[in-house]
Amino acid sequence: MSTEDDTLRPEDFADAALAAITDAAGHDIAGAAGLLAEAGLLGISAAEDDGGLGLGLEFALSLAAIAGRENLGFPFVEQMLLARAFAGTPQAAALIAGELVATIAWQGDVGLGLASQAPFAGVCGAVLVARDGEAVLFERESLQVSEDPALDPERPQSWLGLAGAREIAVLDTEGFAALRREARLLQGAYVTGLAEAALETTAAYLETRTQFGRPLSAKQAVRHSLARMKLLVEKNKAALARALAADEFGAARDARAAFVTAAADAGFVLERAIHLHGAMGFTWEVPLHRALRAVRKIDAAFDTPAALRGLGKTFIDAA
Amino acid sequence: MTYQTDVTIPDPAQGRELYRAHARSWLAANLPEHMRSDSLAYRAPTLEECTLWERAMHRAGLAGMTWPTEYGGFGLTLREHLAVNKEIGALMMPESVGSVGKELAGPIIMAVGTEAQKAEFLPRILRLEDYWCQGFSEPDAGSDLARLRTKAELEGETWRINGQKIWTSGAMKATYCLLLARTGTVADKHKGLVMFAVPMNSPGITVRPIKSIDGKESFAEVFFNNVEVADSLRLGAPDEGWSAAIRVLSIERATNRMYRPWRFEAELRSLLRACKSDAVLARRLDDSDVQRRVGEIVGQIDGLKGLIEASVEHLESGAPIGARGSLSKFYWSECHQAFAGFAYDLLAQVGPQSSPLARRAKAHFTTGYLFARAETIYAGVSEVQLDIIAQRILNLAKDK
Repeated sequence: MSTEDDTLRPEDFADAALAAITDAAGHDIAGAAGLLAEAGLLGISAAEDDGGLGLGLEFALSLAAIAGRENLGFPFVEQMLLARAFAGTPQAAALIAGELVATIAWQGDVGLGLASQAPFAGVCGAVLVARDGEAVLFERESLQVSEDPALDPERPQSWLGLAGAREIAVLDTEGFAALRREARLLQGAYVTGLAEAALETTAAYLETRTQFGRPLSAKQAVRHSLARMKLLVEKNKAALARALAADEFGAARDARAAFVTAAADAGFVLERAIHLHGAMGFTWEVPLHRALRAVRKIDAAFDTPAALRGLGKTFIDAA
Repeated sequence: MTYQTDVTIPDPAQGRELYRAHARSWLAANLPEHMRSDSLAYRAPTLEECTLWERAMHRAGLAGMTWPTEYGGFGLTLREHLAVNKEIGALMMPESVGSVGKELAGPIIMAVGTEAQKAEFLPRILRLEDYWCQGFSEPDAGSDLARLRTKAELEGETWRINGQKIWTSGAMKATYCLLLARTGTVADKHKGLVMFAVPMNSPGITVRPIKSIDGKESFAEVFFNNVEVADSLRLGAPDEGWSAAIRVLSIERATNRMYRPWRFEAELRSLLRACKSDAVLARRLDDSDVQRRVGEIVGQIDGLKGLIEASVEHLESGAPIGARGSLSKFYWSECHQAFAGFAYDLLAQVGPQSSPLARRAKAHFTTGYLFARAETIYAGVSEVQLDIIAQRILNLAKDK
């Protein structure tokens, strides 16, 4: 597909993807997997030999942003990444077809006997865990999962005990490094999608919420706050698109800065969105809190405060 | 100073990376050590030195990339312009002394000027035979140019100009002023605004320098007292000239000084190198708060690069630039101003006991900290940029 139609663009998929993702949001994990697979989304950037569409990573990036906008209750980014990373294996075909739902433990290592920050681990069939540079896909049923509902009682974080874990497949060091690079791009798009949707919701609300005889969006302090949020969203979209592309000399770009900044800014945008909604923003009814929880879980999964310091230290060392 | 003149400028059709590589190698081979502000050999270059340097850059194909060849340019795209700007930004070289001509007057003349005006002014701008200043702001018309009062009255074939401009950067050296005046009254607002190329040696012009926060006299008040300007120096028709200029300005805001994120990165690198050269400062770099702040700045630079490159692709695709320039202008000025504060704080205790490179950095970044106060003011104050983003990108209705 990638070679037959060079004019195909990610935005050409947007409407169909949005419809499938919205539809999937109303189903359990298995139902959602089926719908997403049927729409071709899980394997959009995976190998055609495995049943994927073989399109470039920019297509997966676009889908991640849409899933972020919808705050999809499914390990969508992880599934797309694993479907690409395990190319040529039975697991890739199963992931693309939605027959296997898998997630990734973004923290921990087999050597530590403990892993964590695996989105939706409790309802997945497999979990990828780091092992001294490479990574292992384990059967989820063989892991000891304990859930931590403190941040998100509806979609809790999880801790995974690895004693007696059964291996399904191994991803070599190079493959795992590539997966982590792609993860930064896709998770960056996901959190930016979350932020963009919150910004739009907030701007729309403030245009209709009238106080002192005029819409709140007419007040300069409010307008400037929204403008700053818009700037951050647009800047992060541009930075992620740039990180995805090779430089003038054909070298791949480092995606760490784009991701860490996108995650930090998404948290800021969500916090501002809640504030600008006034007391309504503090309610359970307005779903901004769910988006904030999602951003904070990704922060924790990638330890973005440490990643930010690491970004600084790397630049300092290289200067 | 002599510069390499036997330059073979690569054909961009053979690959943009060749053009960028050409820029990199030429700049590295030719930029005088004493003009690098991160060098121990640095001394403030004179106007003549800067002029000769920029002329050499032009001959090497590193200025006027997008201008038509008949006016001294190279007829290339914004992509080559960007590629070169990345290399210009990577070196701590002086700011252009011809930027008002190259980035403002030139594009406006290209958009609204007559063929004779283009032929006369544009090649001279690129060869730095003229220096331009921008005569827009007035005491009662800063951000709000609709309030400007400088009067232009047509008497036969000659315009008579009376009024005062202020905050006019580079007026002391300028040979031409890009002047905005009005034919009617302030009540006409944007109607009746007309632009001129006014020779600065015209009788009736008085330039009074204003000492700025950094101790320099980089801008001035300019008084126009019965200054006569030939109608042939009017740029565009009254009314039409201004609206065309606004279109040009919106593009310029997005595309001028494209080197900023890459220069920002070079500044950060030079700050860190200076710290590493000094035992006390080097220990500060192990501080996790400093590492976090550097990480934030690296992320901001990365985002700025993204905004600039996205603007170039947007324009090259034929799409209108709209208000995108406000995004990069606002973000750069806020982030760079904050960086200037960080650099000053880091170097504040540098003294005679410190390393030579740290002392050089302190001199550079202290001036930079003071000058950075201007960054959120000039070329559209931050609050105006936020208004533009709110109104033209978010489409929020304005307060009545």
